[in-house]
Amino acid sequence: MAGYYSPLTSTRTLLLKIPPVEPGTVGPCPVAPDALQGIKRQQTNPARWNGAGWQDFVAALRTSSVELAEGAAACGVYATDAGGTAYGLPHGVVLARSAGQISLLLKAAQAHRVPVTVRGGGLTTEGESVAFGGVLLDMSGMSRVLNVDAQALTVRAEAGIYWHALAEELRRENLDYLSAPLNLTSSVGGTLGVGGIDVNSARLGCSADQALSLQVVTPTGEIVECSDGENPELFQRVILGYGQFGIITEATLRVRPYTPLAMHYYYYSSLRTAIEDLQMLDRNDASDYSGILTIMDCAVNLLVAFDSDEREAAFRKNWESRLRGYGEFGFALCMAGHYALRPWKFREALYLLQRKREVFPEFRRPEYMREGKMHDRSVVFSRAVWKHWGSRQMVIPDLATSADKFIEAVERGNAVCRKYFVHYTLYCVGIKLRPDHQPHYEMSCVPPDAEGWAYGCEFEPMIEGGIYSRDHFQSFKNAIYDVGVDMGASYYRFGGMMKGYIRRVFGDALVDRHLAMKRRADPAMILNRDVIF
Amino acid sequence: MRSVDVVIVGASLAAAAAAKRLVDAGLETIVLERKELPRHKICSGILSPRGHRFLLENFGPLPRETLHEPTSCRGVTFHFPSMVSMPMDFFGGSTPHLHRKYSDHWAIQRSGAEVHDQTSFAGLEDKGDHVLVHARQNGEPVEYRARQVIGADGPSSLVVRAVYPDYTKQIPWFFVGQKFHEIIECPLDTDYFHFWFHPGLGHYTWSHARDGRQIVGVGFKRGDNFAKKHAVVQQYLQDRHGVHLQPAGDDDEGCAENFGPSLINRYVFGKGNVLVTGQAAGFLNMIGEGMSCALHSGAISGEAIVEARLRNRPVQEMYRRMIASEVRRCTDQWNPVKIALDKPHEADFPEALMALSWRDRAKVLRDMWRFIVLFKEFKWGRQMARAALQRPLLGGYSMQRWL
Repeated sequence: MAGYYSPLTSTRTLLLKIPPVEPGTVGPCPVAPDALQGIKRQQTNPARWNGAGWQDFVAALRTSSVELAEGAAACGVYATDAGGTAYGLPHGVVLARSAGQISLLLKAAQAHRVPVTVRGGGLTTEGESVAFGGVLLDMSGMSRVLNVDAQALTVRAEAGIYWHALAEELRRENLDYLSAPLNLTSSVGGTLGVGGIDVNSARLGCSADQALSLQVVTPTGEIVECSDGENPELFQRVILGYGQFGIITEATLRVRPYTPLAMHYYYYSSLRTAIEDLQMLDRNDASDYSGILTIMDCAVNLLVAFDSDEREAAFRKNWESRLRGYGEFGFALCMAGHYALRPWKFREALYLLQRKREVFPEFRRPEYMREGKMHDRSVVFSRAVWKHWGSRQMVIPDLATSADKFIEAVERGNAVCRKYFVHYTLYCVGIKLRPDHQPHYEMSCVPPDAEGWAYGCEFEPMIEGGIYSRDHFQSFKNAIYDVGVDMGASYYRFGGMMKGYIRRVFGDALVDRHLAMKRRADPAMILNRDVIF
Repeated sequence: MRSVDVVIVGASLAAAAAAKRLVDAGLETIVLERKELPRHKICSGILSPRGHRFLLENFGPLPRETLHEPTSCRGVTFHFPSMVSMPMDFFGGSTPHLHRKYSDHWAIQRSGAEVHDQTSFAGLEDKGDHVLVHARQNGEPVEYRARQVIGADGPSSLVVRAVYPDYTKQIPWFFVGQKFHEIIECPLDTDYFHFWFHPGLGHYTWSHARDGRQIVGVGFKRGDNFAKKHAVVQQYLQDRHGVHLQPAGDDDEGCAENFGPSLINRYVFGKGNVLVTGQAAGFLNMIGEGMSCALHSGAISGEAIVEARLRNRPVQEMYRRMIASEVRRCTDQWNPVKIALDKPHEADFPEALMALSWRDRAKVLRDMWRFIVLFKEFKWGRQMARAALQRPLLGGYSMQRWL
């Protein structure tokens, strides 16, 4: 008799007994101690949840009147994330409405052991916001600004709100957020969970550090308010916690008066010099915004910007002369000379010219420039990023290191990029650390040895309509991340399919401590369970 | 008739990898297997570290049941007629020695796909928007209707035959057979897979330890006599390497192999809604390791179906563009320029060569040349040279040569 069996309905005794792998466990290795040196025996591309008990769970949700959408059309929208390499389909989708609704959802999920994957803007790159079965909770349903306090300079908003929508509301009061990812559809909640880096992070820190207090629904369904003073332990875990210890439903953030910014660009032909200058500016608090964006590794752009004329004047007086970069015209001459001597590299020169023609005007669009100053930087940058760097797939492995290791990390990562892609962009930025938030940084993108500043570099291949296999991207990412293991760095994007690196960079002791905390907080391991552990 | 998203033919590692991608993306997938699972499979079982990592990342740590004894292999040792031996360790440490019967079963179960075993593929009809798959189950005909079909049924692929009836006549076929011997005395290091570059022994000659016995394997052109070829090798091992073995057990085995397509970039990836992957498509690493490229190409075939649906593009176009990276990696292993200047393999041949004395290096190169001359009749030389030239110019290998 022929056998039909599926993971759900086994109609035959299998000869091979395969014990289920509990989330978070690292298996022993019967192969050999030296096999896959340093790589932990951990499945990083999660198995699709088998759907056991789904119908009971659906019935439980119905009795507590939580609306659940099932079916291919409702779920198919969430098939992948911005990375576009991991595909998964939830069994059902819940659109977030309130903390109370999320609490009911989590209580039912905990009781029926149904995994819940939370998604904000879906801008993860490693499948962290992709549900491999179970429920997908779409936070974009909770996107209201609740209260703006122009006196105290704070805002309270629901966590599913996108930063640019928040910026729009704040502008009505002539306010602005401190720092946020340069990306139109990243949500506040998602950002606080992972960090959030802006071109002013070298001065103001990451977005997660501007949160004053949060309303969190814990994995067991309690609605809890937390801050540095109230439930500080939960606050420490939820901030930069990669969604492991609760769902952020509301957040109070620090804000500031709105200012347009005055941009300056300097051009370098050496990554090393550009990074040295960037770090010099950051150390001396010489600018309000600073970052590096490359066109190629021999055409590096250091951007510097200011909120006020005084700061700009002080920079011009004290620091500008110390920068070793060229202006646009000087650099054009320099490059012309470079390629005149190397005519066989004419394709590179053409690419540079083409990028200059396409990208530069994007940062000077008249509708965002007034009196030489840029307004709405988040829109300008996000637009440019998606139009000229992004594509259907955002594959952006990164390295985050302490200031002194940074140059080496970028140079080594750059060598990897060269091997895998013809064209790519590097984006480097500093992140000011808050000494009082040291506990927040544990097991996060902030490397343990960073003091004062951490530095991050994203390595972004220009996909340009090309179609690559997930495999090709994976080996590229592995090659970059291996540099991080070697150098004792950390990563911004270490979750999802890259989680195999977490134990390699942080060590088992720290990860197991966090895993124990996770198990206490989330006994059924349902909340974003495939992301970190 | 059962109607599903994808039917995969074969329950191999390539099938498991494809099924994993499809099931994750929520597509209803059925795997058809001719034999009863867990089924036996002829294979050295020496998986490359890259393949090991793929298994770990996608299916989790290997259970002990999926391994033979010794459970691991440190590397490959090349032996030459001039009696120079070159041991080379794999990059990144030892690799698993898979028990294919159980490792394949484990992987296919971990993929989460529905498996119909004892169901043999009998033919297909591509209707444009779907494919009808005919199969036989206990002698009874059964039919499946699928949006796409993946052929992952190994070198003598019935799916390839269904799509390209003449293909099997177009490529040279080899036979590899292995016999199992109780050991009297064997000085060959059990931690290594041993391979002989010896034109007198055959096209493909190897030996390694498994479950207390020694495997002696030979590969030759189809038509030659297995027993004779094997006897020559056993005698050679005894005379030159001091390997004393009992007469072979009666569980010897063999199968047909399609060496060649990956050397000359002549892969077969299917037509219309039918994708071909793994060794059926022609993927075979040097030293005949086909599992790691089967896993990766299988995963790419699954991924291509998912991508094609989401982008609303023809599945063949997606598959062929995505598979280019795996073609590069696999064909690089056979590309003499890459071997000389780069490191396409998972062990360092140039380094092991440089560790030898000048005299030995010359001997090794001379012996290798004599061995390569054995393959002269297949007229691959010019095609390989063309592929080697294309590589730096196009940044890859020409898609025009794929079927």
